[in-house]
Amino acid sequence: MSRVRIILWALVAVALVAFAFLSFRPARTPAPQSQPMVMSSIGGPFTLVGSDGKPFSSAKLTGKPYAIFFGFTHCPDVCPTTLARMVRLRQELGAGDRPFEIVFVTVDPERDGPAEVGKYAELFNSPITGLTGSPAQIEQMKKQFGIFSKKVPDGSGDYSVDHTSTVLLFDRRGGFVATIAPEEQDSAALAKLKRITA
Amino acid sequence: MKPILLAALLLASCSKGGPPDVRISDAWARETVSGQTSTAAYMILKNEGAGDDRLVSVSAEAPAMAMLHSSESSDAIARMRPLDSGLAVPAGATIELKPGGTHVMVMGLRAPLNVGDTLKLTMRFEKSGERPVDVRVTPAFGPGPRR
Repeated sequence: MSRVRIILWALVAVALVAFAFLSFRPARTPAPQSQPMVMSSIGGPFTLVGSDGKPFSSAKLTGKPYAIFFGFTHCPDVCPTTLARMVRLRQELGAGDRPFEIVFVTVDPERDGPAEVGKYAELFNSPITGLTGSPAQIEQMKKQFGIFSKKVPDGSGDYSVDHTSTVLLFDRRGGFVATIAPEEQDSAALAKLKRITA
Repeated sequence: MKPILLAALLLASCSKGGPPDVRISDAWARETVSGQTSTAAYMILKNEGAGDDRLVSVSAEAPAMAMLHSSESSDAIARMRPLDSGLAVPAGATIELKPGGTHVMVMGLRAPLNVGDTLKLTMRFEKSGERPVDVRVTPAFGPGPRR
C-alpha cells in the first residue's frame, strides 16, 4: 500500500514540476507569435462612438456575425475598394438580406468624427456601421483586434495612414473565425463568410 | 560573324524606333461625400505606337491636386506611396490603373464629387506630352475588381 502511495505522490510531484515549468516558461521566453495564439486573443467586448455621436457597445452586435475593417475616410483606394467588395460579397452570399454586419472603424479619429464615418459608411449603398472614438479608445481597439496603423506624410502637406488591410470575421458569439485579405480569391472569402453565417 | 549579325538584328528589334502613341480610356473615379477631400482615379493606358513612353505627372483643376500613387499590401498592411519616378508605358503595352494598385490620387477636393460628374485631369507623358482626360465619377459601391 505504502508503495502505491509513494508512486502517487511521485506522480503529483512530477505534475507540479511540469505545471510550474509550463506556467513560468512564457515569462522567461516570450511566446512565439503563432497564429492560433493571436487568433484566440483577438476581439472581445468594446465601446466606441457611433455615427450618431453616441456610445456604441459591441453588445449591439451580439447574435450577429460580423466583418470588421479598420481604415480611414481620407483613404481613396484600399478602403473604398475593400468596403465595396464586402458589400458585393454580402450580396453574393445569398443568405438573406443581411447575413452579417459590416463594421468600419477609423484608425484616424483626429480627422474622422462621428459625422465623417457616418457619411462615409453610407457611400456603399448597403448598411455599414461606421465607428470612431477618442484616440485612446481607438488605440485600445487596435490593440484588442491586433491592428497596425501609422500616419505617413503624403507629400502634399497632409498625411496618409498605413494600416492593416485585412478584414476580420467574427461569428454570432463574437468569436474570431478568420480573416479576408485584399488579394484573396472571392471563392475563398465566400467560404469563410459561409462559416461565420452558418 | 554570324552571331554578331544575329545580335545586331536582335538589338535592332529591341530598341523601339518611332514615336509612342498613348491612348487613355475607361477613366473613372469614386464619388465622395462632404468632408472627404480625396478620391482615386483609375484608367487604362495603351501605347499603340512604336516607341516607349513614361507617364511623368498628373494634374487636376485647381484647387485640387493630383499625384500618381501606388497602393501596396504586404505583411497584411496597406501602404500608399507617391510614384516619384513616374510610370513606364512601353511600346505595345496596356497598363491598367486599378483599385488596390497604381492609381491617380486626387487631393484637395473642395466639394463632393457626385455620380455623373466629370473630373478633369491632365496626364503628362515624357514624349507624348500633355493629354487631357475626362474622368467619369461612378458610385462608390460600384463593381470593383473581382478576384
